[in-house]
Amino acid sequence: MKFSFRSAPSALIFVVIAAVLAPLAAQGQFLHPKVSDKEKTLRNVVILPAKVDIVRTGMKGPEGMAAESEALSARVEKAVADVLASQKRIITLSGPAMSSDGGAQAKYTVADIQAKFDDLLPKVMKKRSDVKKGRFTMGDEVLNLNLDKSADAIIFIRGGGQKLTSGKKTFNVLVGGTPAYLSLQIAIVDARSGDVLLYTDPAFAGDPTTAVDRLRKALEKGFKKLPGN
Amino acid sequence: MRRSSFPLSSLTAALCVCIAFTTIPPVAVGQKKTAPVEATPPPVRDEFKFEKVDLELREQVELLDRRFERDGMVLEDAATSAYLTRIGQTLIPKQPVIDNVTPKELVIENVTWKFRVLRDPQPNAFALPNGSIYISSGLLALMDNESQLAAVLAHEMTHVMRRHQYVQNRSNRKKYLTMNVMAAVGAYAPGGIAGAVISIATTIAPFVVMATMYGYSRDLEREADHRAIDMMISAEYPPEEEIGVLKLLSKDIEGEQISLFYNDHPALDERIKYWISDLGTRAVEITPQMELNREKTRYFQQMEPLMRHNVELAINAARFRSAVYFAQRLVEFHPESSENVFLAAEAYRTLGPRTNELSAVPLSNGAKKDLAKKREKQTPDEEERDLLATPQGQQNWRDHQQQAESYYLKALTLNDPVPTAHRGLGMLYEKLGRNSEALAQYEKYVELAPSAFDRERIQKRIETLRRT
Repeated sequence: MKFSFRSAPSALIFVVIAAVLAPLAAQGQFLHPKVSDKEKTLRNVVILPAKVDIVRTGMKGPEGMAAESEALSARVEKAVADVLASQKRIITLSGPAMSSDGGAQAKYTVADIQAKFDDLLPKVMKKRSDVKKGRFTMGDEVLNLNLDKSADAIIFIRGGGQKLTSGKKTFNVLVGGTPAYLSLQIAIVDARSGDVLLYTDPAFAGDPTTAVDRLRKALEKGFKKLPGN
Repeated sequence: MRRSSFPLSSLTAALCVCIAFTTIPPVAVGQKKTAPVEATPPPVRDEFKFEKVDLELREQVELLDRRFERDGMVLEDAATSAYLTRIGQTLIPKQPVIDNVTPKELVIENVTWKFRVLRDPQPNAFALPNGSIYISSGLLALMDNESQLAAVLAHEMTHVMRRHQYVQNRSNRKKYLTMNVMAAVGAYAPGGIAGAVISIATTIAPFVVMATMYGYSRDLEREADHRAIDMMISAEYPPEEEIGVLKLLSKDIEGEQISLFYNDHPALDERIKYWISDLGTRAVEITPQMELNREKTRYFQQMEPLMRHNVELAINAARFRSAVYFAQRLVEFHPESSENVFLAAEAYRTLGPRTNELSAVPLSNGAKKDLAKKREKQTPDEEERDLLATPQGQQNWRDHQQQAESYYLKALTLNDPVPTAHRGLGMLYEKLGRNSEALAQYEKYVELAPSAFDRERIQKRIETLRRT
């Protein structure tokens, strides 16, 4: 086949777009056999504090958006709870005490479980399909969270994204580059055994601080396979 | 009309430039050779004028401070905080005595000193430009005396006083280097609390990662080392103890390929050399206070609770060899402490079939890379399962379970025995299939510690064992 110079720019544009959107397109959902076989039903869940961090990328590199990241984390937690309630009739219970009322030990326990999940997450992300084999577990240490007795599962939320400055947007239009996006990693973990019951990684292109509808749609899609009540 | 098209060669060239630009290893920043620093710089960069970019950075790091605290990454222990603050305050340079007026501490614009312990078993330390100095529990547990701690604090405080973070941030923005940080951190960030710290810092204040993970520029690091000597001498800490810290940092208990934070400043060997050379030019008179500040016992007495907490953190972070190392130091220091002996037992039990030390000889870079790749893929349980399939792994497990059992039993015979030793024995026996003994130990634990935070977990194990 003869290569046409005329088609080079469009081929390049296709390759660039495909490369940029690849992480977004790779999203999927993976269920533990206990969930897919309906051996385990989720009725009540607890969402641990989400850690979603975004940056503002400009022509001089990324800048932190600490306050916006905190607000977005809270918004993602709420959106997950809303989607689970409306689509799957799963109730979100209040989480473990992280305030000073619970004392340092309560805070440390949550921090240590979150750290344990941060250890496990890269392994899950490396071979997401192994969730279907029931390979990943956090162990019975999750019981140390002392959650409500009716809690069936714990939800861990991580994520990252970027918002572009107007200068960077213009630059991207002219030269190309990663667009504004939000990419989430959500795992539902058995509240008693610590087994990873579901892993999903919804993502969307767009300003993560304002795209409320896109967030909701991405989450609905992310939990599509999860059996409801 | 003929449509315009890009020549293929231009496109290829453009792509090559893009790839080259995004793959420059950040470590190259630290290797830049520049002119030597001034001989005795003033303690504070007086000429520094705050710009909008600096104030924005300050605002972000204030949020970073709050986030570390909120997320349970900071140790909330009043005694340790007071101890660190006391040492930090001693190191702060004083204004000169004029007309017999008591010298006051230097007041630095936009700096409020805070000395905090990060609940992180990985040895590291870093400073934020607002005056927050973080030192990990892993580094504190590694040290032998207060002077070594003072050396680290003095070094980090110099970064703040000389406004190194702001200088570095401005420089990074000009060089666009921070653009590479995200990719680099994505590739190398470890898990656990260290990983969380890096991940938060990356997004909130990328410069922190640039500066602390990859080091400031070589000159700024050298300046911090140089100033630290002056600060230590004036606060009556023997300055050569910094060399001791550097030597401790070169211990690679876990065989980690990527050096982080404090231990990645100019190559440790090089730092040791110029410290020795810097010290050689000064005649430091050793005072009785300096001798006192070098005492190991005094430091260990102060740090014992933190060192215990660090063993638990190391086990939680699957840093089992470090846990054994730190627990053994505790047992050597205070062998009659039931808690210390219990922690040694926990460390050996969780070490399982792994070797106590990675290898008799230091690992090559290639071997460390392989190890890092393996860690990325395997969970600790899978690693154990694979090792138990080998004769060496089985032998290690036999040795370690015996060691653990003897420590647990010893912990129960000492004064004020910790009830957790029963829990540990229960877990050990359960793993060995000695279910009735495990059940008895768990029941004893629940009876002795009815309000323990992990009661529910143990209760569930009891129920499971009763059913079998």
